[in-house]
Amino acid sequence: MREKAEAVIIGGGVTGCGTAYSLAKKGLTDVVVLERGGLCTGASGRCGGGIRQQFTTEANIALAMESVRLFEQLSEELDTDIEYEQGGYLIIAYEDDVDQFRKNVRLQNSLGLHSRFITPAEAQEIVPLLNTDPIAGATFCQTDGHANPFRVVHGYARKAQEMGVEINKFTNVTDIVAVDGHIQAVRTDKGTVKTDTVVNAAGAHSRDIAAMVGVDLPNKPYRHEILVTEPLEHVLDPMVISFKTGIYFSQQKHGSIIGGIGDPEEPSSYNLSGSLRFLKRMARTMVELVPAFGHLNVLRQWAGLYDVTPDAQPILGWTEGVDRFCQANGYSGHGFMVAPKVTELVAELIVDGKPSMPIDDLTLSRFEGEITGEAYVVG
Amino acid sequence: MRITEHPLLSFQRKRVIHFTFNGGPLEAYEGETIAAALHAAGIKVLSRSITYSRPRGFFCAIGKCASCMMNVNGVPNVKTCVTLVEEGMVVESQHKGVLKPFTGPKKSHISHMKTQVAVIGAGPAGLNAAVTAHAYGASVLVIDENPHAGGQLVKQTHKFFGSSRERAGTRGTEIAKILYREAESFVMLQAAVVGHYNDRGHRLVLVKDGTLAELEAEKVIVATGASENMLLFENNDLPGVYGAGAVQTLMNVYGIVPGNSVLMVGAGNVGLIVSYQLLQAGVKVVGVVEALPRIGGYHVHAAKVRRCGVPIYTSTSILKALGEEYVTGAVTVSLDKDWNHIPGTERKFDVDTICLAVGLSPSIEFFCQAGCRIAHIPELGGNTPVHSPAMETTVKGMYAAGDAAGIGEANTAMMEGKIAALSCVKALGLSTLETEKESKESYEELRLLRSGSFGERARQGKERVFAIMEELHE
Repeated sequence: MREKAEAVIIGGGVTGCGTAYSLAKKGLTDVVVLERGGLCTGASGRCGGGIRQQFTTEANIALAMESVRLFEQLSEELDTDIEYEQGGYLIIAYEDDVDQFRKNVRLQNSLGLHSRFITPAEAQEIVPLLNTDPIAGATFCQTDGHANPFRVVHGYARKAQEMGVEINKFTNVTDIVAVDGHIQAVRTDKGTVKTDTVVNAAGAHSRDIAAMVGVDLPNKPYRHEILVTEPLEHVLDPMVISFKTGIYFSQQKHGSIIGGIGDPEEPSSYNLSGSLRFLKRMARTMVELVPAFGHLNVLRQWAGLYDVTPDAQPILGWTEGVDRFCQANGYSGHGFMVAPKVTELVAELIVDGKPSMPIDDLTLSRFEGEITGEAYVVG
Repeated sequence: MRITEHPLLSFQRKRVIHFTFNGGPLEAYEGETIAAALHAAGIKVLSRSITYSRPRGFFCAIGKCASCMMNVNGVPNVKTCVTLVEEGMVVESQHKGVLKPFTGPKKSHISHMKTQVAVIGAGPAGLNAAVTAHAYGASVLVIDENPHAGGQLVKQTHKFFGSSRERAGTRGTEIAKILYREAESFVMLQAAVVGHYNDRGHRLVLVKDGTLAELEAEKVIVATGASENMLLFENNDLPGVYGAGAVQTLMNVYGIVPGNSVLMVGAGNVGLIVSYQLLQAGVKVVGVVEALPRIGGYHVHAAKVRRCGVPIYTSTSILKALGEEYVTGAVTVSLDKDWNHIPGTERKFDVDTICLAVGLSPSIEFFCQAGCRIAHIPELGGNTPVHSPAMETTVKGMYAAGDAAGIGEANTAMMEGKIAALSCVKALGLSTLETEKESKESYEELRLLRSGSFGERARQGKERVFAIMEELHE
């Protein structure tokens, strides 16, 4: 492991590896990534891979739109097929969702996003297997979609390494040394790296990392469960999602359906085991929307951790009280989809001192004032 | 091709059944699996792989490997090697699972069951465990996805060695029948356990006749057996490359020969015994290749095979399978002392079947799911659940027995099943004055079974497993 680096990134998921790549692309290659497990073994490797722009706050919509622009070129840029498909997101609207959804579409449209409110019949044209009986309509945005997170993370990591970044897997951060609010070094079980700049991209464990320098993050971990079915002929273009039931599912390039469902009764914890309750709720809810899926065999189920903030928006940027301690966490379940833009902004902040898009609304200090939250959160 | 004459087995074929394969009519006998019936009709290519459209046939024939999946009556990805053929069945090859309109119940009902001891797997370990626990008054349920109870015993036509107590001199097929007769009332066949959950004790989820059931158990004995190892060589996925166990299933359970001429890979006991069984079924065995410089199995088995004129080539490995849609030949190569191929020693065999007898790996999925500590123990076939001499794993109330607890053989599997069951009996408070004595005898029996030179590897492996368990306790 290098003895010193201009920046240390804690976390080898999409945010950590993406930030390493973005830094290297801007010429800062004296960077060390520290990951306690393998790459993409936390939330990045456990998520559904959805990429959505239909959000309800301006900040999230803008970040997601910019990210989609980057995702569109990412396969070429990373020399790997990230299995990106823009089959759209079909957000199911039930009777009492309709008014709010129409408002959301208006906000999205005002920011240049081509989302639209559609009738049940139109929804069925997009998903012929959809049972439209219980639904009042849907919103749809064709440029939403999904990609393979493993391809993306390993693609970022490989390119970053080619440019000179050092990635240390199975390396546990044990402490961050700071004197008078200035970071000196990061200690790990494999040695110490001297640095004055740290990016906290540790996902659901970011709170523990921040506590090492006395910073209190409001983030809480929540288990979210997900499953994969056997592969099928192609029957589903978009990601189908409902905020009422908390369900989402899409069909991957190889044919499997991957999907999950949030659980309002889930307590905050680091529990990663699979539950029978999830399997039953998921099966019932999915088969109600797509009855033909009643045939499907589930191959596996697993769980990952959402890193949830009080307003369900990420925490980005410098931290008051500790110089050059950059937060890139708190994605509340949306980290993968905004990673291309977020990591670019973090790199700009570190190298140029100023990101190309304002992120003032997303810094940690926002929690001192009044909070406007993201309403479109699964679960 | 069906076997009509066999020196040991008689196949009582039941009524004729009609079904279709890719639209064409075929006949089978009641009691045959779809894959076996197709093979008897000369159909080896069952489906195509998703990405490269490679031909797919079965490999394991006992529901472990999933390479036999086909569309049956509109339901994709049915494991045809463990699904019995039925009158009027519509069987189709698949490339990807094709979704037909859902024909199942509109609202699926999940039934709930309770038992004191759940046993996963109705092989020698599972059945013996169940019979033992039942004798002490425990409620027991054995679940197995195969259409036959007895696990791999049902195809073992040779007489068992070992002690007289554990039925030495009896053929495996007979032992299976004896055990099943005792356990029949609490065995559920053609039911697959698809999940283990730790929430509030042990909860198993099983699929029976296309519907889910939930089974709450105080103790779980996992006796899921093993899966056959694959070997790396060119074209190893061609139909006609079969596990030795699959060949045994086809021949000895269904009376169907795997092909006309076979190259056997592996000269351990399994390779030698199956070679001899092939000869008994009238199949030509062109040779047995063994990568090691010496024969691994008992010499009595090797001598029998050699007397029939089958050469055994040591320090030799398979290089590739030949053929486009299925195996039409095999190329072998000699190995030097560092396991490297010796150029110029390639030898071509005209065979339609390549049989792999290159070892087994414990089926440890449920242990992994439950969070049991797993250790890599080469002497026991690789990844093995860490367990105590009483067969309890690191997850309280979950026990391992038989090949799933580390590769052994049927006698030791039965003994481990018994020990696991006695441990459950004690933990459930069902012990009698006899229990301790029976337990002591079982430990002694197991020790004797592993005392010979052929038991040495397993003995060493188990010692390592017990040592890890002890370390964890300290």
